[in-house]
Amino acid sequence: MHPSLTPRILLFRTALATALLVAIMLACAMIGPQDVSLKAALHRPPAGAAVSPDYEILVRVRIPRVLLAAMVGAALAASGVIFQALLGNPLADPYILGVSSGAGLGAMIAVIAGLNWTLWGRSPIAIFAFVGALGTVWLVWGIGRVTGRYQVTGLLLAGVVVNAFFSAMIMFLVSVAKSQQLHATLFWLMGNMTEEDFFVLWMGGGGIVAGITALYFLGPQLNVISVGHEDARSIGISVQRVECIAFAISAFITAVAVSLSGLVGFVGLIVPHAVRLLFGPDHRQLVPLSALVGAMFLVVADTAARMVVAPAQLPVGVVTAMIGGPFFLLLLVSHSRKVFWPR
Amino acid sequence: MTAAIEVKEVSFGYGPHRPVLNHIDLAVRAGTFLAVVGPNGAGKSTLVKIMAGLLKPQSGSVLLEGRELYSYGVQEIARRIAVVRQEFVPAFEFSVLETVLMARTPRYGSWGFESEQDRTLANRALEMTDTARFASRPLGSLSCGERQRVFIARALAQDTPILLLDEPTSFLDLRHQVDIYDLLKSIQQKTTPTIIAVTHDINLASQYCDEALLLYPPAPSGDMPIDERSAAATRCRVGPISEVLTLPEIQQAFDVQVFSGAVGRERFIVPLGIRAKDADRAGRST
Repeated sequence: MHPSLTPRILLFRTALATALLVAIMLACAMIGPQDVSLKAALHRPPAGAAVSPDYEILVRVRIPRVLLAAMVGAALAASGVIFQALLGNPLADPYILGVSSGAGLGAMIAVIAGLNWTLWGRSPIAIFAFVGALGTVWLVWGIGRVTGRYQVTGLLLAGVVVNAFFSAMIMFLVSVAKSQQLHATLFWLMGNMTEEDFFVLWMGGGGIVAGITALYFLGPQLNVISVGHEDARSIGISVQRVECIAFAISAFITAVAVSLSGLVGFVGLIVPHAVRLLFGPDHRQLVPLSALVGAMFLVVADTAARMVVAPAQLPVGVVTAMIGGPFFLLLLVSHSRKVFWPR
Repeated sequence: MTAAIEVKEVSFGYGPHRPVLNHIDLAVRAGTFLAVVGPNGAGKSTLVKIMAGLLKPQSGSVLLEGRELYSYGVQEIARRIAVVRQEFVPAFEFSVLETVLMARTPRYGSWGFESEQDRTLANRALEMTDTARFASRPLGSLSCGERQRVFIARALAQDTPILLLDEPTSFLDLRHQVDIYDLLKSIQQKTTPTIIAVTHDINLASQYCDEALLLYPPAPSGDMPIDERSAAATRCRVGPISEVLTLPEIQQAFDVQVFSGAVGRERFIVPLGIRAKDADRAGRST
């Protein structure tokens, strides 16, 4: 049972979650195979002298990586909320309409073709992945539209089939690829964080934050749509318009996230469910809180990925699945009795 | 005086071989409680969807307050017509109050929260439907009858002059059926909206409603072209309830043997199958 949401509660919870996120990000930036002294990093070197190695590690390596993890986690969790609401399906995640396989195929093509130019500091892998992701969602959306304007099933089936087809093509490319090309691609397919420069972080982060903010304002409409499309129309919601905007925004932020980090699984599926179990189904709070919790989760998971086999690194997608799966099952079992009331 | 809602020559079919509505004409005066009665497949729910602007008729037009329905925007329709539908799919666990407040969503402020007026209207709707005492309980924890009252409360919170209900008493036991009709009648008396309710319960309809629309089953496909005017005359009947829901009309529309009796001034119509225990005796008395 959840008391209904007031602006005050929402503001309080969002502020608290933001503070927690910042604390976690700072803590995780301090953790690493190399001990870093904050004092040494903040100490201003005399003019002309080289900056301290502590500063180098913290500002050029750790902080960008923590920021990237936070952005990707926020984007995936927020779009997971949207896909679950619009498709009315608890199994929906940001990848359900083909973003993952489209991005994967784009990335594989870039690797196989051996492209090595850069655009705004981005490798062709990221750019091909971004284009592949958006192109695939557009394709699936188009097929879904043809099969029935009000039928979610058509859209889901189109997503499943396109995902399967593109995955087969990825497998084909993997099997014909040269072995030295494979390592990078496999890490990418499992979801992997790398150190990005600040320009890329600003661009991607700006897009993701703008997208999530826009999704918040669709919250009340999403509440009604999640109950039923016809109900929403008779209450006075322009269902198709809201759906189109919400799908476009979440596909976009997912594509940004995927092109920066590869296919990090699980965040977009379990974080929305966990937040819903704890705080109720109201999308006005589900969108911002899921984004913040998703960011925390991925920052922690990426820190674990850096540390567990240090100095080597794990793909972060492996860690999200390994922490996320059991944690979510625990939450589901302990909360389901409270959520589903006996008749 | 213009009708609250007027259906003119409306025809609709799901594909060319499944005509459902055939040249339906209907004018509902403001403040009327109208029952829409007819056998399965006669197009009752379809007609409600057409009147709510959720479906577009293949021919004919619907006038809302004298103006073509399709010239209104989605929000403009929602300010005039509220709909209570028959099926309920439990999705995410919203509370009763949250569900009722949803009716106010299009008029929320720019930060996505309800105003004081929205809250007042929602509370009034909860009071009227006697659902205020479980306002904070999740919808899934209610009984069918309670849940139906919540959906009626949501429609009331929409604060519209017209209320459309699609089988509001299906799945309910006798007590709850009567409760719902009592509730609808009290709503009609307090705020005088126009109420249009699809129902299978002829007897409850004749006790509570002012007028009735009786829809006949559609002609078998291929039997009759959808635009044959001569056939249109027998596709439906509208009028005061005592003139429409009569024994011969019901027998013809539903294709079933019925007999009628009276308790006090209320007349009742009861169907009778050929293998019913009292089929012979009843047959003699009608």
